[in-house]
Amino acid sequence: MVVKIRLSRFGKKRQPFYNIVVSQARTARDSKPMEVLGTYDPTPRVPTATDAPEVIDEVTGLPRKPKRYKDIQLDQSRTKYWLGVGAQPSEPVERILCLIGLMEPRPGVTKKAIPPPPLSAVSVAKVHTKS
Amino acid sequence: MTRGALQYLQVPLSSFTASLTPSATVSKHCPKCKRAWRRPFSSTRSCDMTKLRAEMFNWLNSRGKNFLDPVQGKTNYLTDYDKRGFRRNKEPDAAGEQADSTEREKGTRDLPRRPFPLNEWFISQPILSEELREEIWRRVQIDKKSIRNVSVELGVEMRRVGAVVRLQELEKQWRAENKPLALPYAEAIHSMVPSTPLKNPPVPHETVNDLPVHSMTLPQLFYPTSESRQFNRVDAGRIFSGAPRLPDEADVTQGGQSVEPWKDTSIEIVGKPGHERPVLKAADARIPHPHLIAHEKDKLDPELDALERHERYHARLREEMEQRAGKKEARRKQIEKHTTRVDTGRYEFLIKDCQTTRLGTGLDGRGTASPGRRYGVPSQDRKRGAIKIPTKVEV
Repeated sequence: MVVKIRLSRFGKKRQPFYNIVVSQARTARDSKPMEVLGTYDPTPRVPTATDAPEVIDEVTGLPRKPKRYKDIQLDQSRTKYWLGVGAQPSEPVERILCLIGLMEPRPGVTKKAIPPPPLSAVSVAKVHTKS
Repeated sequence: MTRGALQYLQVPLSSFTASLTPSATVSKHCPKCKRAWRRPFSSTRSCDMTKLRAEMFNWLNSRGKNFLDPVQGKTNYLTDYDKRGFRRNKEPDAAGEQADSTEREKGTRDLPRRPFPLNEWFISQPILSEELREEIWRRVQIDKKSIRNVSVELGVEMRRVGAVVRLQELEKQWRAENKPLALPYAEAIHSMVPSTPLKNPPVPHETVNDLPVHSMTLPQLFYPTSESRQFNRVDAGRIFSGAPRLPDEADVTQGGQSVEPWKDTSIEIVGKPGHERPVLKAADARIPHPHLIAHEKDKLDPELDALERHERYHARLREEMEQRAGKKEARRKQIEKHTTRVDTGRYEFLIKDCQTTRLGTGLDGRGTASPGRRYGVPSQDRKRGAIKIPTKVEV
């Protein structure tokens, strides 16, 4: 049976929150997984004043709104391991892994334009899958 | 009744008095319907003014005038005035009198602590005046003084200083955005309850160095200790947290060296794995301003003059601030080291590298040290007694 890296929904109604999990493909979405790799909070959060110091807009004279962020926590070494032994990421997880640079974006699957991966060492996944 | 309404009502009043004392200038026709609306030589009471209405206008022109321009800073109840409209000499009650005298000593505004005399349960503590709030904000944001320093200087608790700075920032932001502010409400509140003014030298608003009661100190413990050895606050803290005795070289009573309370920022953890807990420090280190103890000790030293004391005090504050800033920076760098930031245009993705191991989840999988929501653990958000409101502010 295929082992997948996928999202498992937690949180309340209209307040989604996901665990990034490794589980058997045919098991239920929220069932107990083989392993939890991390979390993904899809709600854009406003950074605190400490994290994003205030910048005054020159045109309006008002403080500029800081860019909102989405929080992802991921155990990258365990993710590399699971990718190396053949775990298949689901599409949302693949997009996240492409963001970090753990996978290379495939045309057609990763729909959004994604900047090139900042890390150089990340064709680890490819190396593992090939070997 | 507002001034506008009263003025509106005064219009027919003048016409009423005019009807009693007829004169040539009085119009005999209603300006709207152009019909004769009163008979000036008749002895019959005018039909458009009832007795009650006439009495009302009489009241408005006599005793009611007190309420048109109320006395500021005092209650203006109907019962405060006698029938002739003079203010009664009220006998102040004991609680109000006492509160007034204490406030006069403190220099607060001369307002009673009980703004509603009939509600004896409502006793208001003094609030910060607008000028004091602005001064707190100025010292923190413009002079870049530490919150600890401002708290000691102005006699306002550190948490209150933080809250004032946040709220002032918000108010300034709203003013910049032209958002409506509830200024009449604030003005009304300030006219009702006593407030701490901004003075030089500053009037302390509250005690700033109160020791909070720690829940670890609540249980009664019976601890046998030897008489040959001093039992001090450090020992008491260790016993409350179940920690072993300090080694002699760290125990002051045994001739060892101890850390000054204001320098004591390290955390000692005791307990078996899974049951770790921090050791409760001595009260000297747990109070909000431990360096004030050192300052008081300096005052007892006859060799130090005022200038030296002042310098030593500020040097200690500086040292502590630098220490805290260094720790904060190190913590921030540690987090940044494991964080990748990817900007996708609309949002920024913060990807934190973490460890999801059994060390974090525990053998039963219910530990909370690793990221991820737990399986098979019910949510406590509807449980009775669980705190659901935020208990701290992230800024």
